[in-house]
Amino acid sequence: MKYFIFRNYTVEPFFKGLNVVFSGYENISFVDAEAGAYIWFYLSPYRTDNQIIANEITNYGNLLELVLAKINPNKPLLVFTMQVVYKINYQTAESNVEEAIINYNQKIREWTRDNRNLKIIDISDFFNRFSREQLIDWKYYYMSQMPLNPKLASDFQQWFERQLEIIKLQRKKCIVLDLDNTLWGGILGEDGIEGIKMGETYPGNTYRFFQEYCLQLHQNGIILTVCSKNNEQDVLEVWEKHPDMLLRKEHLVTYRINWNNKADNIREIAQELNIGQDSLVFIDDSPTERELVKQMLPQVSVPDFPKQPYLFPEFIKYLTDNYFSAYELTQEDAAKTQQYKENAERRQFQNQFVDFESYLQSLEIELTIEPLNDLNIARLAQMTQKTNQFNLTTKRYTEIDIRNFADKGALIYGLRVKDRFGDNGLTGLIIITTSTKKEAEIDTLLLSCRILGKNIETVFVQYILNKLKVSGVQTVKADYVKTLKNNQVAEFYSYLGFDVENISEMQKRYNINLDNINFSTPQIYKLIEK
Amino acid sequence: MTERLKNVFKQVFKLDEIADNISQANCDKWDSMGHLNLIVEIEIEFDISFEPEEIAMMKDFKAVKELLKKKINL
Repeated sequence: MKYFIFRNYTVEPFFKGLNVVFSGYENISFVDAEAGAYIWFYLSPYRTDNQIIANEITNYGNLLELVLAKINPNKPLLVFTMQVVYKINYQTAESNVEEAIINYNQKIREWTRDNRNLKIIDISDFFNRFSREQLIDWKYYYMSQMPLNPKLASDFQQWFERQLEIIKLQRKKCIVLDLDNTLWGGILGEDGIEGIKMGETYPGNTYRFFQEYCLQLHQNGIILTVCSKNNEQDVLEVWEKHPDMLLRKEHLVTYRINWNNKADNIREIAQELNIGQDSLVFIDDSPTERELVKQMLPQVSVPDFPKQPYLFPEFIKYLTDNYFSAYELTQEDAAKTQQYKENAERRQFQNQFVDFESYLQSLEIELTIEPLNDLNIARLAQMTQKTNQFNLTTKRYTEIDIRNFADKGALIYGLRVKDRFGDNGLTGLIIITTSTKKEAEIDTLLLSCRILGKNIETVFVQYILNKLKVSGVQTVKADYVKTLKNNQVAEFYSYLGFDVENISEMQKRYNINLDNINFSTPQIYKLIEK
Repeated sequence: MTERLKNVFKQVFKLDEIADNISQANCDKWDSMGHLNLIVEIEIEFDISFEPEEIAMMKDFKAVKELLKKKINL
């Protein structure tokens, strides 16, 4: 991706290694139309006159507004917030610079509402890691017009890359927590329920703080699980009876409390939740356990645990910045834990039925097929970014890409799935492009793994194929593109009755003639089209 | 020290070999931004700080080496 960077100072070293073109200083007259994305990186000026600083910042805001009107709204624009690094305080009560900064940052936040391509990057998150002496090297400021110390370039690059990931919604899905000396102080098996430390006084208050953090993750859609070497009965007693235990059984989607090897337990947790091992973060105070998991399950993230419990605040900041930050969460994300839990209940329920058909029947599955709209576009784009297993082509799209598809006449449908245990929300997507009236091609087909195992995928695609047939389409082409994770759908199109057109190592191309088929939706599914 | 210095040059200018007579005049990549990157990397590598006057004098490998030697021996 080629970036075009609007800037007011020398900032080249900070974007080393990226494919970038820079604007002239404070120059917005030229906008590189070839660029795939734009970056607005204006830094607050160093002046002796605070009114001049305030005026310049206001002016930068005006320039940005002009740029916003000029660039293609289908291309991402990443805007850095502004923060004062250096300022002379002549009068404590004077606040013109602060006000200018607040206005500037406020304005860009407001603009994000009407400009879905504008994403904010909060520079204070980077600046706050350093002192002013580290942030500015005056020699480079005067020699090369660099307000930011070029020696921070590699720190900046690392941080900036993570910000890009956050914007692309790449984050971990699940945290696996140890108990003894992790969620509480002491060892339950030795100290007993009265002896373990959590609560108001040190060190119990540090563990309480960490538990509060875990609850916040829960609210932000991260799946909480526990993996601990303990007697399950003892732990259940703590969860039920200990007054200072904030994190309780109902917050956990699943747990493994036993004396088995933790790597095996974690592998099972990933399987049970139907998520990749690379979506897990394992937290344990024991270096031995961490090392074992690192070696046996190299895809699992295993951060170092703080040496002292009073270092939890730094630890949770590290965890969030590196694993759990999201740019913006949809309702589905926040409700995710509930859905994973309902799934676990469904699995138990399933055991009561002898034949699969009557089990499905009893679920009272309701499928809603809805076309692309302003409310579901964020979620549909997000699904292309995050779905790995049931994903036929694994093409990653932004909201802008999805909109482009719609503008070119593609058919885009989301799938909502509901059953007697709850609402899974939007969990499926199909994008169909049409070259002629008689020929269509499935560009993207994906379903969240939460809803698999109920034959919903077949019903969904058959329904869409029927729809195409009714609208006059004769041939539908489709691809399976192999990735490390989507092996389970390698034969999906064959199963549906598509013919193989050609096969290469990484890809299979299919087509189906709709004249010869007639699908009907089985009675056990209630199907609604919006 | 010469080897360490050459490695910095190699890394900054993305070159496989550094001639002893490399200079701003005979190396395309040693432009003003290249110069800035070079000084930053040398300062980091040897944990020193050059004065602006010294930076202005470092127009070829020999000059850089001499100034660096002086700094380190101080």
